[in-house]
Amino acid sequence: MTEAILIALPAVPVATAGLVLLAPSGRVADRIALGGANVTAAVATTLVVLALTAAPGVEVTGDWLQLDVASGVFLALAAAVGLVGAIVSPAYLRHAGRGWFGERRSHVYYYAAFNLFWAALLTLPLVANLALAWLLIEGTTAASALLVSFSGKRSALEAGWKYLVLTTLGLGVALLGIVVLYAAVGGGGPGALGWDALAAAAPSLRRQTTLYAFVLVVVGLAAKIGWAPVHNWLPDAHSEAPAPISALLSAALLPIVLLIAWRTELALAPALGQTAIREVFLGFGLLSLAVSVPFLWRPLPWKRLLAYSSLEHMGILALGIGIGTPLAIAGVVVHLAGHAIAKSLGFFTAIPLLRQDPWAARRAARGVARFSSSTAGAMAVSLASLAALPPSPLFVSEVMVLLAGIDAGLLGVSASAAVLLALGFLGLSHALLEGLFGGRGKRGTGPSPRSARAVAGLSAFAVVALLALTAAAFALPGSDLVRGLTGGAA
Amino acid sequence: MSAAVAALVALGFGVIAVRRRSHATVLVALQGLILGVTAISREGGESGAMAVAGAILIIRAAAIPLLLLLARRRTPERTLVAPTTSVATRLLVATAVVLVAVAATPPLGIADRVAEHGAVALVCLGIATVVVRRPALLQLLGILVAENGVYLLAIAVSGGVPAAIELGVLFDLVLVVTVAGAFAGKIHERVGSGDTDLLRGLRD
Repeated sequence: MTEAILIALPAVPVATAGLVLLAPSGRVADRIALGGANVTAAVATTLVVLALTAAPGVEVTGDWLQLDVASGVFLALAAAVGLVGAIVSPAYLRHAGRGWFGERRSHVYYYAAFNLFWAALLTLPLVANLALAWLLIEGTTAASALLVSFSGKRSALEAGWKYLVLTTLGLGVALLGIVVLYAAVGGGGPGALGWDALAAAAPSLRRQTTLYAFVLVVVGLAAKIGWAPVHNWLPDAHSEAPAPISALLSAALLPIVLLIAWRTELALAPALGQTAIREVFLGFGLLSLAVSVPFLWRPLPWKRLLAYSSLEHMGILALGIGIGTPLAIAGVVVHLAGHAIAKSLGFFTAIPLLRQDPWAARRAARGVARFSSSTAGAMAVSLASLAALPPSPLFVSEVMVLLAGIDAGLLGVSASAAVLLALGFLGLSHALLEGLFGGRGKRGTGPSPRSARAVAGLSAFAVVALLALTAAAFALPGSDLVRGLTGGAA
Repeated sequence: MSAAVAALVALGFGVIAVRRRSHATVLVALQGLILGVTAISREGGESGAMAVAGAILIIRAAAIPLLLLLARRRTPERTLVAPTTSVATRLLVATAVVLVAVAATPPLGIADRVAEHGAVALVCLGIATVVVRRPALLQLLGILVAENGVYLLAIAVSGGVPAAIELGVLFDLVLVVTVAGAFAGKIHERVGSGDTDLLRGLRD
């Protein structure tokens, strides 16, 4: 039964993509996409429940697909962000204009690409094989590059092209690592690259070759995760993509590709040793934090600011995984969920913001509270949470990761990260205050678009979800969920 | 194998050096042909594996170059996009990058050390092509040169890489080339040229 649901999960969005292509009008396409998204989310929720109730054990293990605790956590992210993205997409498309595909068919092609992208994102957490994971990640590139450039503007084409070229090159490097790894395990068919098969073979692998393969795979995937210094596409793609796609890229794609790097690390750990793994992840983590923080202090357009915040948060996740203790992994789980909620809300807020103040696409938003309380409220919830202002769950998760670092004897790393996070907090707080009350932005309330009212509802929902997550965070260390993610340790 | 690797690397240098997109496309098609013939010759007569290698040869040496030539026809340039650097500079930089990368690469555990060096050299040449060439189609050809490097290593693995993975990678490659071709057409339509330097508006 569970196996059938596993197959249904990607099948539903792929079928929705096919159906939507037959839609005679944009409005019909909206309805088909919404219906498909609800069915997809229901199937995904069933799998999430099955995965989490089986914790710390594994619900299903197969040659190509598996359902474990990590699958449940990351599937929940992809399903939730995708569903809300599908719900808010009509609000974006209503005013999107001609775009790449012309006005008449733009909804149809948007939803087709959206659903194919979403199908790949939903499948990736379930994948039990490194080669299959690579194929799906490369598949996301084609669909999402078209979505990044959906508006057809010159800047969007630049962002989409940069994303396509840089991530494809990065994945080429990762594929080189996979071939080296396949040779190292001595071949034996595609099953040799399964997580379990790699873990079983790891103790007998040559350390030097395995390390080289691991570094190639992780460095290649880093280009897709958006870790510095291979993050150049990230701010451009996130800022130029339609808001629901920016949310999917930031809150789902980046963490899910990170999961693949994490699973590779867990499988190869017996061959590599903890020190080498730590050096790779902590290096990417600290560098991403250090690169992102100066940009959080600059007056950037709203979506671009959120993009650099993604770089910062991917850095924190890298630190948590690099430290790798149960407390750090508990922090990673809280951080993943909190980041997904706050970042999605931030990108969805861009829809009414850019309707009310179109200049905010090219310069920093200013004085939003003067013309829209609902948009300003959503911005405040999103940015305050991302800045890790208590009681944001991101504050709790960052403290967990830093304490875990100190506990693991990584005092220098934790201290450096704490300083960078404090600077990032100040930068984002400054940006929030300026965005709400500062400058000589647009004045007068004017008409409030429907999307502003919808975002007000989403903000209320996000506040409840974030506070619930903060409360749940304290129960997470020592739980079955963390035990399932750390192979028994809690 | 050594002669094939030398020819592949020489063709990779050619992609960095030539000015015309059509010439570079032919060089990449030749790389596909050499790789395909090498793969078939190493299969040792096993019919299923020969069929897969044959299909890969047709797609790499004919179908993908055809897609690229069609994309080139849809994006005619009134004048050639002037390279920002001279041929000598490009070749010098590429040679330096390749030599450093090859010298720094430890043994990858594949019996054929020449193929290991060739693969690393092609991946570096592909990346260098993307960095130093401005036309969108030439940057796409850089990606293909890098992918050819990975395929060279896959061929050299004892027993080969599973057909399912090779075909999956090829499917993804065709998908990326198709989407990149569409991008090249759209960029040309929007800015009147395939020169990606004209798209440098996003800065912080």
